[in-house]
Amino acid sequence: MQRRGEHPVINKVVPSFDEAVSDVNDGASIHVGGFIGPADWPAYLISALGRKGAKDLTVACCNMSGIGPIAREQLAGEEALRGFTGMAGTGMDHVTVALLIERGQVRKGITTFSAPMRGSTGSAFESMLEQGRIQLELVGQGTLAERIRAAKAGIPAFYTPVGVGTPLAAGRETRTFDGVECVLEQALHADFALIRAAAADRYGNLVWEHPSSFNATMAGAATITIAEVDRLVDVGDLGPAEIEVPGVLVDRVVVRPPVPMKSWREEH
Amino acid sequence: MLERLPPEIVALLVTRRFRDGDVVNLGIGMPLYCALNPPQDVEVIYHSEQGLLGFGPILDPVPDGHRLQTAGGHFVAPRPGMSFMSHDASFALVRGGFIDYTVLGALEVDAEGNLANFMRPGRLSGSVGGAPDLAQCARNTYVMMTHTSRDGAPKVVQRCTLPLTAARCVDRIYTDVAVMQVLDGKMMVEEYAPGWTLDDIQHITGAQLVASPVMREISLQ
Repeated sequence: MQRRGEHPVINKVVPSFDEAVSDVNDGASIHVGGFIGPADWPAYLISALGRKGAKDLTVACCNMSGIGPIAREQLAGEEALRGFTGMAGTGMDHVTVALLIERGQVRKGITTFSAPMRGSTGSAFESMLEQGRIQLELVGQGTLAERIRAAKAGIPAFYTPVGVGTPLAAGRETRTFDGVECVLEQALHADFALIRAAAADRYGNLVWEHPSSFNATMAGAATITIAEVDRLVDVGDLGPAEIEVPGVLVDRVVVRPPVPMKSWREEH
Repeated sequence: MLERLPPEIVALLVTRRFRDGDVVNLGIGMPLYCALNPPQDVEVIYHSEQGLLGFGPILDPVPDGHRLQTAGGHFVAPRPGMSFMSHDASFALVRGGFIDYTVLGALEVDAEGNLANFMRPGRLSGSVGGAPDLAQCARNTYVMMTHTSRDGAPKVVQRCTLPLTAARCVDRIYTDVAVMQVLDGKMMVEEYAPGWTLDDIQHITGAQLVASPVMREISLQ
């Protein structure tokens, strides 16, 4: 919050990715948005957190399989691009949460995908799991999304029929509603949420041009929500019906540089 | 040697069930063949987990900079009437019963309709995705897979041995050999590949098969 004379001015824009994640310390819990395509991921925020090196992180993220950029640097050409889900990648800009895993910064992952995807080069998560260096909480995607949504909606827990009779719901309380057995799932709040959106204004209002996936779901489900955006626009440029996530759910906004990322190691 | 059906043909058997306005979610693996050759004369609304509803055909080649993708990673064309939403809203659709058909791959399916498809034997790690919600909550849960594994082991079994993705959820199984309805703990063969007998199919199946009263040879007519 900066001040103009006596009047507070809302301005959530932070000048650099490194500054945006400067208070993410060891042991923090983090929600990370991102799904399939490179444009779904907060690649610069993840890279900044990789540089900062905070460790013992608990990370909730839909897709934690795939290899990270360090492993990819060691592979050549086509092989490297197959590292994520088998589709063509876009070079260094395709930084995912796998970076934090391969750097040993993640103590526990809460995710729907940890095994290598079909046709992929490997999974940093699975390698760490085999070495006993990471814990896995495997969750179905709908339950993961609703646990995160519940956290921002002030719902401490909810019942769902999904998972009954499977290891995914092992140890959960159950209750039957209208003859349907359900399991009790708890809200999943984090210290930080790192998300990606197409555009923001200084209020932190966010819009997307593609499915927002977990990025919109995670906004507000953390003490501090940090949005990495392609464009910053003036307040008023985003129409009220167009704003998918209102700025009150967002604490920091960082704008991506117009040129592609060269390396996750460099500050931008 | 009895011939098995190619996946393109199995996909046709699945997609001919779709009707105008049906909402369909296709899993990764063999169900992809349903997306490669969608029914032309029916207006189906395809759903993808990340909040994508009503997308168009798979693009090949992919134009430069094209971003619209399915959960399986395939680039698809936009289509009039398409809509986007968040992941939580997308799965509210799933749990809310708005998905008419989900077609999923599987490692094992059993006579109780239990589905195992997220963890391979001997692995510590899994790929569960949205399958628990889709399998449990879609109005029709179909499995599309090869009848046996690569080493010849039955995938249609009396009782799953691998960890379950969802319990008592599968309605029909489409394999390269047969179409089976899972009903009241019975594995009922509805259709079989040309040349195969119930005995031939039973020979490569772990579950006790029953002939459906309407059992017939697969025909694409």
